[in-house]
Amino acid sequence: MKRYDIAIIGTGPAGLEAALTAQARNKSLLLIGPAGLSAKVTKAGSVRNYLGLPNTSGAAMQAAFLEHLESAGIRITDGQARNIYAMGDYFAIQTGDADSMFEAETLILATGLPLSKSLPGEDRLLGRGVSYCATCDAALYRGKKTAVIGYTPKEEDEADFLSELAGEVLYFPQYGGDVRTAPAVKVIREKPAEILGETSVRILKTDGGEYEVDGIFILRETIAPDKLMPGLELEGSHVKVGPQMETNIPGCFAAGDITGPPYQYIKAAGQGNVAALSAVGFLTAKQKQ
Amino acid sequence: MVKVIREAEYGQVQECPLAVLDFSATWCGPCKMIAPILEKLSEEMKGKVEFFKTDVDESPMLAARFGIQNIPTLVILKNGEEAGRETGFKPEPLLKSVLESYLN
Repeated sequence: MKRYDIAIIGTGPAGLEAALTAQARNKSLLLIGPAGLSAKVTKAGSVRNYLGLPNTSGAAMQAAFLEHLESAGIRITDGQARNIYAMGDYFAIQTGDADSMFEAETLILATGLPLSKSLPGEDRLLGRGVSYCATCDAALYRGKKTAVIGYTPKEEDEADFLSELAGEVLYFPQYGGDVRTAPAVKVIREKPAEILGETSVRILKTDGGEYEVDGIFILRETIAPDKLMPGLELEGSHVKVGPQMETNIPGCFAAGDITGPPYQYIKAAGQGNVAALSAVGFLTAKQKQ
Repeated sequence: MVKVIREAEYGQVQECPLAVLDFSATWCGPCKMIAPILEKLSEEMKGKVEFFKTDVDESPMLAARFGIQNIPTLVILKNGEEAGRETGFKPEPLLKSVLESYLN
């Protein structure tokens, strides 16, 4: 497997600037995120304080960013990082199923603000019936009753997959519009409120009722940083970084909204630049050893 | 070395003063990633901690006995009694410090 010098997770201003800097320093890089860029960029009404782009709309900013990327010859690997493993001397990044793995010497996390908070009971029962990956843990629920809480339509595939093994799958879509799931999946339009159980998951409580289940799969668009990469140290809900954008894990850096306020495009881009230069410095020091 | 066991061999785990039993499966991504780390720690902590591994598909009764619901799960046993458990992948330095806390 090809091992990249630098893997950058996220395609907002922090990730893109990190990619441009890494490219300028002649490092092999992997840039993972939505190919159409972070939704927070494209949906911005207007940005007034970004140097060189006065009073620009989100859409115009997206176009300018994409053009800059293209002129530098940087390609985005479209997808979402689901699991990242700190293996000691390298990082392994899983995007979809277990077969889509990437490896890199250093890592820059720029996935933006961790948006959704945990449900009451979720953290306590993680690993005791609560899971974030249906394809990883489905086989443990053969013949059992499960709930899937999906925050985007793409999670419908996960519910379908689970229904091939589990005895029953209840699907709780947390978005509007049509839901297209397999006939075996029971769709319930309710909002989850709490997860109950002493030593393992017993009940999913919603705003409409209570459901007895053995397992609950919570599939969000943004995964909390310490769940995306186990072992990563947080400060509140943000990744704890030092002045060089370094995290507690050697070789792993973070930039942008994921590191905390202020939530500004220009700050995110600046941190992306610092993170990339720190990663380059880390690689140089490693080669000298 | 991490010793691969089946249900019938569980007695070996109970005989150890301090043992780690890793519940895993061939289809589990995080299990694959934590395997080389456990292998390395088993060498580094030789004589202090014994490392075992079992496949939940091959040892379903053993998995049920410990109520394993997500993998990888590492069950830490002191003289055959469960002293704690760790679920999910952990980087080597973190896992090592967790296991060292059971040494006293």
